[in-house]
Amino acid sequence: MSKPLLHKLALHLGLIALGIIVLIPFAWLIIASLKPSEAFFSALFLPPGDGLFGVDWGALTLDNYTNLFGLGFGRALLNSIFYSSAAAIFATLFCASTGYALAKFRFRGNGLLTLLILGALIVPPSLLIAPGYELLYDLGLLDTAWGLLLPAFAPAFGVFLFRQAVLQSVPDQLLEAARIDGCSELSIFFVIVLPLIRPMIGAFMLITFLAMWNNFISPQIVIQSADKQPLSVAIAQLRGVYRTDYGLLMAATVVSVAPVALLFLILQKQFISGLTSGAVKG
Amino acid sequence: MTPPRIERVTLLVLAIRHLSVGVWVILALLILSAAALVLTDRSDSRDDRALSMWVFSPEHKLMYDPIAARTSDTDAPLDISIMSIAAIQSRMMSGFFGGLPTADLIEVERATIGQVFMGPTEAIGFTDLTPLLESEGLLDQINPPSLSPWSTDGRVFGLPHDVHPVMLAYRADITESAGIDLTQAQTWDEYFAMLRPLMRDNDNDGRIDHYPLAAWYTQPDTVELLMLQGDGALFDEHGVPAIDSDRNAQLLARIVSWCLPDGRVAVDIEEFSAAGHQARVDGVSIGNLCPDWMCSIWRMHVPGLDGKLKLMPLPAFEPGGRRTSVRGGTMLGIPTTTEHPDEAWTYAKTLYTSPDVARELYTLVDIITPVRSLWDDPVYDQPDPYFMGQPKGRMFIELAPMIPIRTSSPYNRAAVLEVRDAAIALVDWAQSRGYGFNDVESIEPRAKQLLERAQTNVVRMMSRNAFAALPEQEDREQ
Repeated sequence: MSKPLLHKLALHLGLIALGIIVLIPFAWLIIASLKPSEAFFSALFLPPGDGLFGVDWGALTLDNYTNLFGLGFGRALLNSIFYSSAAAIFATLFCASTGYALAKFRFRGNGLLTLLILGALIVPPSLLIAPGYELLYDLGLLDTAWGLLLPAFAPAFGVFLFRQAVLQSVPDQLLEAARIDGCSELSIFFVIVLPLIRPMIGAFMLITFLAMWNNFISPQIVIQSADKQPLSVAIAQLRGVYRTDYGLLMAATVVSVAPVALLFLILQKQFISGLTSGAVKG
Repeated sequence: MTPPRIERVTLLVLAIRHLSVGVWVILALLILSAAALVLTDRSDSRDDRALSMWVFSPEHKLMYDPIAARTSDTDAPLDISIMSIAAIQSRMMSGFFGGLPTADLIEVERATIGQVFMGPTEAIGFTDLTPLLESEGLLDQINPPSLSPWSTDGRVFGLPHDVHPVMLAYRADITESAGIDLTQAQTWDEYFAMLRPLMRDNDNDGRIDHYPLAAWYTQPDTVELLMLQGDGALFDEHGVPAIDSDRNAQLLARIVSWCLPDGRVAVDIEEFSAAGHQARVDGVSIGNLCPDWMCSIWRMHVPGLDGKLKLMPLPAFEPGGRRTSVRGGTMLGIPTTTEHPDEAWTYAKTLYTSPDVARELYTLVDIITPVRSLWDDPVYDQPDPYFMGQPKGRMFIELAPMIPIRTSSPYNRAAVLEVRDAAIALVDWAQSRGYGFNDVESIEPRAKQLLERAQTNVVRMMSRNAFAALPEQEDREQ
């Protein structure tokens, strides 16, 4: 066997081993979600028995999933998809437009506004819980989807990120040429600016979608009705005080992890191309 | 100059074709999920007159719903929502800080209540129930020590839900086959001495098969439980820290000595993990500290212990000492912002003094009620097969009046963690000097020094709060 082939083989074996190590927790999670409660603590992975490979295959069950959706988890899943996609789309749109305005328009108070946005970045989110609750109460937005989504539509981090992206990627000459050619400001933004900052759009949309999907603190404060809760809160409520059905909890975790993992496994090429498309263009 | 319509459409197409497939997929998800939510929308059927109650346990809702339905002839039905302890804490404190309405009734777990008592008494977000409890004779009905975690400055701000006395659950199958009658052990020293013969490596795997007690100095709840049993108090009755008292130093030295390698009698077993449950089934620990609520957890998660355990009062630190302790707890409070204080109080006392709820509480989750007049219920005398047919409920009730009084200081958790850190430092120090199980007196002075450091840290933390009860200045300087 030639040396490069041996090298390749060793490399692949090493990578396969690392891949297995990475996948072990996921395998454990899926197996645990298929075990009944009484088998949960008696076997580390598959329940031992007289079946193939010494496993009691008959002990594995889909009951946890059946029970889970019987508890209204389908609704929580739908809520999570809605909150995350709405936050991703609208936050990207609002942050990109605000960032563009701050980067390219000269108006009174631009500097102060940028400073305020920068200042907002250094305020710890936990400090805003009580005043945020009061504000939402005053606006009558507690226990509504708007109460959760509105504060997520224009995060200071996103505005500043897009401001920097526009400053680096959009030359003033291009905008001036478009204006001379009669392009409206809205068209300039959608037709010229957005394509130029496309890498940032992909990355920010991904970040925002995941952040809202995993968001736990805000929904548990803002959303009170069970039928409006996202998955993160619904899963937390499965942990009982006196006892916890761990099989059910693991099934809920699989339901929570699987859609996002699947989505980004399918779309990873698009997102990566989005992230890198502007990298070599200067 | 505005571009003609066709050009605008062309520009739009040009713009959107730059968007990646990922953006389109997320957009499609948004449209589909919004449509699905609109189509499956369940209009809010909540009665506007209804009182709201927040609970953190599905079992509690299960118990309260039928009683609440019967009580709704007060013209205001009760709408009970289950949410996590963290969610209750965040919402409740946000509401209290903003002076905003929260729920009409809130169940609060002991770990959360400290935050409520952080400010001055008159600013506490819960209604002072003392006059109501006195006027209705409930103060005499409730187990007195069970009120302590929910009281400050002599005022009671919550109805206690439970007592949570602690017993020792021991592996009777192992001890009885070895001819050891552990019920004769009155003190921890006697208990450990009786079990020493079992501390052998019979299977030759290089490890001792059985240790007398599952307890470890790194577990803050265990350290607190044992110190409470031994009359150790981290705060005095006014909420002033008393962490560095001689008694606390004695107790810490005793607990730490159980964990030192030379003559070790305790073992580190996790409480809520598969490994910990398996270790218990394997008999790695003979004795386990068992509050009443732990019984239902073991019954569900450790079926391997079914019929192998027996309960007994905790051995005392000294002859004639306390034979129990306490761990955990829940209260029901009425926020001051409620618009229905009378109806809320009616529901509170109905739910918390109902014989039906008390019986269900024990049947479902093995918890005994703090209402003494309900302790005569025969349900508590039923033999429990999991505990070899012992009348578990009656045994816990016999210990209930003896549980230690606990502080409601918001700094209790911080103090417990400081004591845990002191225990860790003490173990390191004792190990480096070769001290063991029999050297309690030698390590006690060092325990005192470490607790003084813990006291300083807690006082420093408390001094940032203008309303915290601090030791006198000269005491602090000493």
